[in-house]
Amino acid sequence: MQVDKTPPRIMGLYDAPMWQFLDDDRALRLQCCSDCGTWRYPPGPVCPECLSSASEWKPVSGGGTVISWVMFRKEYLPEYPAPYNVVAVRLDEGPIMISNLVEDPAENVIGRKVTLVVVDMADGVKLPRFKVVE
Amino acid sequence: MRRSAAVIGIGHSDWVADWHRVRAGERPGDCYHYGAVAFRNALKDAGIKRDQIDGLIVGPTTAYERMAEVLHMDVRWGDQADAVLSVLQAVQAIETGAAEVVALVYGNDQRSAGTQYGGPQAMGGDLFLSYVYHAPWGMTSQGALYAMTFRAYAERYGISERDLGHVAVAQRQGSARNPNAIQRKEITLDDYMAARYITEPLRLFDYCLINDGGVALIIAEASIARKLAENPVWIEATGRFDLNRAATSLEPRLTDFYRPAQQHVAQEVFNRAGIGPKDIDVFQVYDSFSVHVPLALEGYGYCGVGEAGKFMSEQGIGLGGALPTNTSGGHLSETYMQGWAHQIECVRQLRGECGDRQVANARRVHYSSDVAGKAVSIIYGSD
Repeated sequence: MQVDKTPPRIMGLYDAPMWQFLDDDRALRLQCCSDCGTWRYPPGPVCPECLSSASEWKPVSGGGTVISWVMFRKEYLPEYPAPYNVVAVRLDEGPIMISNLVEDPAENVIGRKVTLVVVDMADGVKLPRFKVVE
Repeated sequence: MRRSAAVIGIGHSDWVADWHRVRAGERPGDCYHYGAVAFRNALKDAGIKRDQIDGLIVGPTTAYERMAEVLHMDVRWGDQADAVLSVLQAVQAIETGAAEVVALVYGNDQRSAGTQYGGPQAMGGDLFLSYVYHAPWGMTSQGALYAMTFRAYAERYGISERDLGHVAVAQRQGSARNPNAIQRKEITLDDYMAARYITEPLRLFDYCLINDGGVALIIAEASIARKLAENPVWIEATGRFDLNRAATSLEPRLTDFYRPAQQHVAQEVFNRAGIGPKDIDVFQVYDSFSVHVPLALEGYGYCGVGEAGKFMSEQGIGLGGALPTNTSGGHLSETYMQGWAHQIECVRQLRGECGDRQVANARRVHYSSDVAGKAVSIIYGSD
């Protein structure tokens, strides 16, 4: 899995804190609704459940389960030479995060438990990825 | 069943000739050129004059105002919409009296202009954040989103990659018998399996073509349609349901495969038309990727949930199968007109103009589209 340059991140009004927290202490924090406790990812202006604007950035456990995965065999982004994997991880807190496994899977990984690994990219970005734990 | 409006004219550009010209390095025209060529052909097909048209809808790849200028048309109603929503809006305009004869015009120079559907300049990212949001992890291209969807779906229901191959094989049966198709060579399941992966588990033949072209339709109010056309193709029912909740994290694709939206729409269109899936003679599915087809077969009740692999291999979706699907070759093999050319194939099947790929006695055709969670259906019928 490549660790050189990171393709451009989407930096809307609500996106910067997640990356700043990763820079500060290598912890993945996501928005959690202050009123009803619903986690959300990607970040956004209001809670999808109760529409509250109040939220806190709380650390996630780092645990999750793979719900799907693919192998790119064609290059689309100059930063990512093929082949490489992309996974969809159902975080234990609820949201789905699209990410990579630090090692390309040798077999089907749907249903496998994973844990967060924060990878230092050569361009300085701390990228949240996952590794299979069982 | 409502028969408030009918298609009375169809037209398109010569995308086969333009495919060869573009591959030879030429630029036959811009998106407005392709739209204008298609419109000219649709006027001729309908046998009407431009000044009989009082409404205009253009596709999302062109500006409404500029297309109206190029076509030299002043109208009392107009809009911009994708293929399937254009038809719905034309019907609504006719039913509310906003217009009586509406032209729908689409032109796209995506091949010659180098439009990208993945990578740093991926098209559509402003509408659908999922197309660009996951780029830091290398996740880009709409095909990869469908690869991710297919893997989860295949795992849940035990459907194989070879099962999926039936889509590409069946559609080549149609395109081989369609003089307007770009890819006309039939393929076998072995050919399908031998092709390279693009984003695994999807292979080359699971992906649509990218080519230039234009499509136009003319839709008229019922009494006008009866006067102007010998063989009007009726819009008998339409339905729509959208899934946008948690779309960026791919939740509606990966958990329910858009099925709840399709089930809503199925109930709506089949109830309105007073028929069921068994009454449909031809199925047309928006197929930017083959994966759309098995999901639509299940979502609209042509087979049970999880049974599309079995349905495709045992009942058949090719010519002569239980449910001939994408008989023109679709986006995979005929032309990638983003759903527009599918409307033409619906009309041609109902007019009986399809030659060697004609489905005998086709009376009702179902068109389904589920682009990015927007499930929309039209049932077309003939007299």
